[in-house]
Amino acid sequence: MSSEKPTGSGAASLLLRQDFLGGLVVTAVAAIAYWLGSDLAVGTLGGMGPGLLPKVLSLLLGALGLLLLFGSLRDVGVRLTVGSLRGPIFVFGALIAFGLAVRPLGLVAAGPLAIIIGAFGSDEVKWVETIVSGLLTTLFCIVLFKLALGLPIPLAPWLLGY
Amino acid sequence: MKRMIASIAAALALSIASADAQSYPTRPVTVIVPFAAGGPTDIVARIVSDYLSKTLGQQFIVENVAGAGGTTGTTRLTQATPDGYTLMMGHMGTHGAAPALYPNLKYDPTKDFEPIGLVAGTPIIIVARKDFPAANLQEFIARAKNTGEKLSQAHAGVGSVSFTTCTLLTAQLGVKHHRVVAYRGTGPALNDMVGGQVDYMCDQIVNLVEQIKGNAIKAYAIATEKRSPALPDVPTTKEAGLPDYQVSAWNALFAPKGTPKDILAKLNETYVKALDDEATRKRLLDLGSVLPDKAGRTPEALATLVKSEVARWAPILKTTPAQ
Amino acid sequence: MFDLIGNLGLGFATALSPMNLALCFLGCLVGTLIGVLPGVGPIATIAMLLPLTFKVDPTGALIMLAGIYYGAQYGGSTTAILVNIPGEATSVVTTLDGHQMARKGQAGIALGIAAIGSFFAGTVATLVIAAIGAPLTKLALLFGPAEYFGLMVLGLGLAIVLAHGSVLKAVIMVVFGLLLATVGTDLETGEERLTLGFSALSDGIDFAVLAMGVFGIAEILRNLDNPEARSVVKAAIGRLLPSMADLKRSFGPILRGTGLGAVLGILPGNGAVLAPFASYTLEKKLAKDPSRFGKGAIEGVAGPESANNAGAQTAFIPLLTLGIPPNAVMALMVGAMTIHGVIPGPQVMTKNPSLFWGMIASMWIGNLMLLVINLPLVGLWVRLLQVPYRMLFTIILLFCAIGIYSINNNPADVFFTAFFGGVGFVLIKLGLEPAPMLLGFVLGRLMEEKLRQALALSDGSFMTFVERPLSAVLLALALAVIVVAVLPSVRKSRDTVFTE
Repeated sequence: MSSEKPTGSGAASLLLRQDFLGGLVVTAVAAIAYWLGSDLAVGTLGGMGPGLLPKVLSLLLGALGLLLLFGSLRDVGVRLTVGSLRGPIFVFGALIAFGLAVRPLGLVAAGPLAIIIGAFGSDEVKWVETIVSGLLTTLFCIVLFKLALGLPIPLAPWLLGY
Repeated sequence: MKRMIASIAAALALSIASADAQSYPTRPVTVIVPFAAGGPTDIVARIVSDYLSKTLGQQFIVENVAGAGGTTGTTRLTQATPDGYTLMMGHMGTHGAAPALYPNLKYDPTKDFEPIGLVAGTPIIIVARKDFPAANLQEFIARAKNTGEKLSQAHAGVGSVSFTTCTLLTAQLGVKHHRVVAYRGTGPALNDMVGGQVDYMCDQIVNLVEQIKGNAIKAYAIATEKRSPALPDVPTTKEAGLPDYQVSAWNALFAPKGTPKDILAKLNETYVKALDDEATRKRLLDLGSVLPDKAGRTPEALATLVKSEVARWAPILKTTPAQ
Repeated sequence: MFDLIGNLGLGFATALSPMNLALCFLGCLVGTLIGVLPGVGPIATIAMLLPLTFKVDPTGALIMLAGIYYGAQYGGSTTAILVNIPGEATSVVTTLDGHQMARKGQAGIALGIAAIGSFFAGTVATLVIAAIGAPLTKLALLFGPAEYFGLMVLGLGLAIVLAHGSVLKAVIMVVFGLLLATVGTDLETGEERLTLGFSALSDGIDFAVLAMGVFGIAEILRNLDNPEARSVVKAAIGRLLPSMADLKRSFGPILRGTGLGAVLGILPGNGAVLAPFASYTLEKKLAKDPSRFGKGAIEGVAGPESANNAGAQTAFIPLLTLGIPPNAVMALMVGAMTIHGVIPGPQVMTKNPSLFWGMIASMWIGNLMLLVINLPLVGLWVRLLQVPYRMLFTIILLFCAIGIYSINNNPADVFFTAFFGGVGFVLIKLGLEPAPMLLGFVLGRLMEEKLRQALALSDGSFMTFVERPLSAVLLALALAVIVVAVLPSVRKSRDTVFTE
């Protein structure tokens, strides 16, 4: 999808092979899940314990991950491209800022904050446009969610008390 | 924009005015419901909030904060400012069974709240699939105690009302050999009971009343002092010979610890009026609820109830498969 | 037959009263408008709008709520097609080909065929409910835990067929989804599993949080990472409505999708969720050139959308005839009925005929209104895509945040959405598709529940799955589907079937 087709076959180092890294990640996730579920009882078939399914599934996932990993040793497949981390950093930043701000500061602050921080995820950010869109979208959300639908989302607790 | 400035100015003026009981409430009040919208507790909360909004002249807004058997929303209340602007509709689970079910509970139902009043109790009914070979409660008990036969019990998940109340039943009968089948919610459990896949369950009357009336399942007894007007043919546990099985899923209003006494008094006074209000009363009774009598409407009565419920559930639920 | 006509007559007399007609329209319109906001799926929409219905009389409230339900579902499909963000499990399938059509400048055609297919399916499903709703209930009751488990395994088989890349990767994602479904408090013992001590995870991972993360947020990240992908906004818009050729091509899929959806919707415990997946798989198998699927095949939108709507509608049967809600949305309907003093159960039909038949009639009217509301709106939705992506994505982000927050009024859900956005981003980088994972997740929770119930009832004997004929048939079918899916890859000739 977002990755490129392989260029010169031998050129890609092992870690840059999509399936090698994929197999590694899947196997690691399976190992962590198995470890997290290791305290849970497996039980019997008549009374299956809480741990049975997580354990069986993480073992299966681990095996499949290894299969993917070993497959990539024979077959180079698609090469991994990392790309810029700018998008993820600001998009996560926007969501986290919204989550942190919404209860203490309310929608009045969390809305523009999310939009302005998020806008930096794009490399074509424009200041005026972003601020105007932040304020207008927030106003729209206040009118829609707060005034029209009466949702219990805080508006500006530090000022209005709700 | 103009509108926003105007409303901010208006709000500033309001927040300067002192928030004493005379003027309370001067802004909308949040009523936390620790379960999803549409459930029995949510419905009771919306009926009561409706009356409170009309009578006190400010919106009482229901906020559903579901999660972890209602304890997420209850914990939220203990963290709220105790100014009377955040209340909650508590429940038998959140303020009775929770300490026994959740060892890491972040609140103490007997200490961290200001009780306002008990709103309603929803009676528990013992039901079975319609072709279950027992004509009445005594025959059911005989079969249930017979270790040569393994009955199957359906419940709506650990911590649900059907789980706790049926655990109480089997504890009182002293039976441990039943097949216990867990479902995610009353709906799927009821489906398998109507389909004849499981033998019996216990749950709130509001969830079962229409299926009983439609003969899709049969009822053995109702765990209250008096018969329910919704199901006049179903005997009480006292009449049917199991007098100790008295249990109901109750809902009650609570405020965070430290809420001003005069605000609490005003809330209690208004909630008592709600219970006497013809329309509100009818809506609650239509759910099959039992409303408290005069003596049961004081904060003290609620505090006593919470203490006795916490003490009652601890020994029963600590012996469940969870431990 | 006379009964049916008389009953429908009563129903239409009730539903066509000016007040109820207005409420139906309002419900459909508001449901569509809120449901179409990216990040605000049908569940969040209904949770938001439910309190509005508490203010009208019971029949009106139910009619309005049913309108909100279809509207929200339809609005959700619109978002799935336009911005590749599914609001619930059933519109995951719509993203596969619907969004690809949008990228090719065919957004209008995709939206139009979805509306037409949904209307056809809704009409048929309404007739099914009215004519044979009550006897069909018996079918639902034949499904015990063992049968249900068989059906879920069949669904997982479909999830593997659904994938268009490597079969191994699809299986990995299904198993990963199953594993994610085990997170949360164990139903039987109350023990916390794999929650890392987060109380927000104690009820399991919320579907909306997971879907919004791995689809919605990850889609934004993918577009930011890859400027050409944003071309969805720059592509020529093309025709706004489907042509005769499109309709002809969609006729079969719509018919088959409607049939599948109508049957699966009746099953208790959210059988409707399987309908779009089953329809998609069926169309892909029937197609002369399966390689078009996943690249904007109109059949891949027409079939699943019809199945989705038919299933959404017949899901009312267990609610109306038994008073048992088959899924979360129907549980909300029970709450709405209860608050009005109408407790749903087997007797609603006889005790409250005008409510019962009025609601059924309003379903059809609601579907018609959706068509009337949505066809003219298609142009507007498509034009919204011309907003520059640098602005559009921040607005989507804010709606997502508000929608997710509103489900439980809990900021932790917003953080988890960000987390799953990261997971989705990594998955895309690794060439692992999120769609099979979501289906694994949805089915996994039910599957474990049903497996444990069946084994508890049989004292741990696996024979129960074979001894019960219906369950045996379903499991055999599942096995066949999985063999068909996996065999080509074993024979190393998978590329001819699952061409990328």
